[in-house]
Amino acid sequence: MTFEIPNYFLADLGPDAEFTENMITEAVLTLRSNRERYLAVRDTASIIRILSQTADNWLEEDYPFREITLEKGPAETGFSQETIRIGLDHFFGGLNPDSLEDLLLQELGHLKRMDSLCAARNENGKEAITTGPEMITHIAAGNIPIPAMLSIVMGLLVRSAQFVKCPRGSSFIPRMFAHSLYDTDSKIGSCLEIAEWKSGSEAIEDTLYRHSECVTATGSDKTLEAIRNRLDAKTRFLGYGHQVSFGYVTKEAVSGYKAKRLIREAADDVVAWNQLGCLSPHIFYVEDDSSNWALQFAQHLAAELEKREAADPRGEIPKEAAAAIASRRAMYEVRAAHMPDSSQQWCSEDSTAWTVIYETDTLFQLSCLNRFIYVKSTADLEEVLKGAEMVRDHVSTVGLAAAEDEKEELALRLARWGATRICPIGRMQKPPLTWRHDGRPLLSDYVRWTDWEQ
Amino acid sequence: MSQLKQLDDFGARMGDLIGKDLDFEPLALELFRLQSRSVGPLHSLCESRGIDPDRLADWRQIPAMPTTMFKEFELTSLPADDRPYFFLSSGTTEQVRSRHFHNDTSMRLYERSLMTWFSPNVVEDRTFAHMISLTPPPESVPNSSLVHMFDQVGPTQFFGGLESDEWVVDFEALIQKLEDAKGPVLLMGTAFSFVHVLDWMKSNHRELQLPPRSRVMETGGYKGRSRVIPKSELHRKIRIRFGIEEDDVLCEYGMSELSSQAYDTGRGNEDERRFRFPPWARALIVSPETGEEVADGEIGLLRIFDLANVWSVMAIQTEDLALKHGNEFELIGRFPEAEPRGCSLTSA
Repeated sequence: MTFEIPNYFLADLGPDAEFTENMITEAVLTLRSNRERYLAVRDTASIIRILSQTADNWLEEDYPFREITLEKGPAETGFSQETIRIGLDHFFGGLNPDSLEDLLLQELGHLKRMDSLCAARNENGKEAITTGPEMITHIAAGNIPIPAMLSIVMGLLVRSAQFVKCPRGSSFIPRMFAHSLYDTDSKIGSCLEIAEWKSGSEAIEDTLYRHSECVTATGSDKTLEAIRNRLDAKTRFLGYGHQVSFGYVTKEAVSGYKAKRLIREAADDVVAWNQLGCLSPHIFYVEDDSSNWALQFAQHLAAELEKREAADPRGEIPKEAAAAIASRRAMYEVRAAHMPDSSQQWCSEDSTAWTVIYETDTLFQLSCLNRFIYVKSTADLEEVLKGAEMVRDHVSTVGLAAAEDEKEELALRLARWGATRICPIGRMQKPPLTWRHDGRPLLSDYVRWTDWEQ
Repeated sequence: MSQLKQLDDFGARMGDLIGKDLDFEPLALELFRLQSRSVGPLHSLCESRGIDPDRLADWRQIPAMPTTMFKEFELTSLPADDRPYFFLSSGTTEQVRSRHFHNDTSMRLYERSLMTWFSPNVVEDRTFAHMISLTPPPESVPNSSLVHMFDQVGPTQFFGGLESDEWVVDFEALIQKLEDAKGPVLLMGTAFSFVHVLDWMKSNHRELQLPPRSRVMETGGYKGRSRVIPKSELHRKIRIRFGIEEDDVLCEYGMSELSSQAYDTGRGNEDERRFRFPPWARALIVSPETGEEVADGEIGLLRIFDLANVWSVMAIQTEDLALKHGNEFELIGRFPEAEPRGCSLTSA
């Protein structure tokens, strides 16, 4: 018997469903009333149980929602089954009581902060409680599914009803996650709505905003600005804008016996979600002298990406994306042929599946993604930061591979420069649950604090 | 015989052949052989691909030079002291733009190619009393191949100008001229100029009835210089505002890196504007994945082989996506420039 996806969320109606303002109002009022009855009354421990239980289920091979996500995922999302599996296993593997408690402690200072007036040891007896917004609207991006799922987790922890709006054609995996929550606890699931519609459907979006105390959005600066301008002053807005990431490899890290592992880890970062997330690297900068470390790094990375393609294929991408890769390759082919000292390229054969471009020019450059990675040689970090000045305000993650005795200094320099996350190469697209998105607080950006001084 | 002399000879032969029956493949292979010896980056490309230009037997296998390479290299066989003219791709003065060098000889071939294909496609049996361009005049933009073309096909009157690098139109004078026109008009301009004119006419409540047998020729994209509206809608608005027949909005496809142009042949059929190059130039639509020619009805990247591009490179790889219809193609558009995608990819 094949498993049928239940018909519960608006997104289950398919990408062509049309919505009216009335339908949205009705959905939001139902969410709010369900929240009042089922979610607001739960304590943090029970939310942690539900989330952990759901994550445990997802890690079981025969969990129906996992099976159907892996089965239908490639057609629905364009990612290969293996790419989805690796991405989801990391996400759900990191969603457990320990990580959830770490998150609560980091954000709210006390595990019971959402439940009662309480004081942590370092708070000198001053008690406080936090209250989440009754209703949050998330305007999700469609490039990869994880951020929308993370938003849902955060929203549940602060006991909010949530409406997740995905771009058309991109709700599949978040929708399966929502179904799985409903499966674990239907009352909690009833405080959640997932929908997708064409961007710019202002009337229904305005209806949604009117009923929300908090709106989060991920998108271009322009998109965020447009949304912000349509909210009234008392609605809290959390916008996550353009972000890019890159890796930095020191001579010490690349020249030793660990180089082989480093290459595998760099490949992990490139293939994860086909490089489409904002934590995915556009470039690996490799410190170089006359030893050609960077060139070798590029060569080995190409060999590794070729190997990955067999086990974890990239899958089909839209014509426009393939055309962007083909055009960029054509340009570098001529450059490499005519000026081989300054650039070289390695490409998958008869496909755009993966591309490595080696370049001596350190200027920051955006990759066309979908497993298209630059390797640039550099003298030192200062040169890199100078070349990346134009994206300075938009850098999320820097993947760092360095010897123990140089790490701290480099991390500090990167932090002062403006990077919001520094992590080992290989973990760029695998942030922990406690990762502060774009350098912002997580739960504490959502909640209202009530201090009780006695 | 020097390489330049051989190219000059080839150019002279092409001058004779344009407009006559010609055998494309041997000419293409011959021209490629000559160019592979005289254009450095092309030579390097052949070497790195292991192509022996003397042995190549299929014109489709001629390596194409990406248009962006015209920005980085001087893709020309003309000696440095004989490049009196050059065309620049569109863009602002701050941007790095493609340069296509010409001398008097190459200009003559360019103009011969232009006029020979323009006449049967745009003029046909008509006599235009007025040739009017929405672009600035050649004196203001001497390096625009488009404006040069509009000038060559004339006598043309220009109603555009330059204002801090932007192309603007003198709306009042233009509309006055069109209202006073006695006899068929050929109105030529870029898509974005037409948008500007249509917007102005709308807000000033102006509508025209161009004289019978008038035509509009629209070319190029919007290039961020106006709002983007689908071409079919642009053409419909042009017809309504200028009061001309359905069949009389034509499109041209050209670029500064080429010496020949394509015109659409799908007159009046807005769903399928099909472009066709002259017999001395060919379009090849290739799969971005494999680089091989796509089947009929499929979309790929547009590659152009232009025998009138004698002194630069004859095979050009564009960044335009096109749908193959036999020897004709439908323009699908250019994929968006690389921009920070990350989280912003397809939000909201």
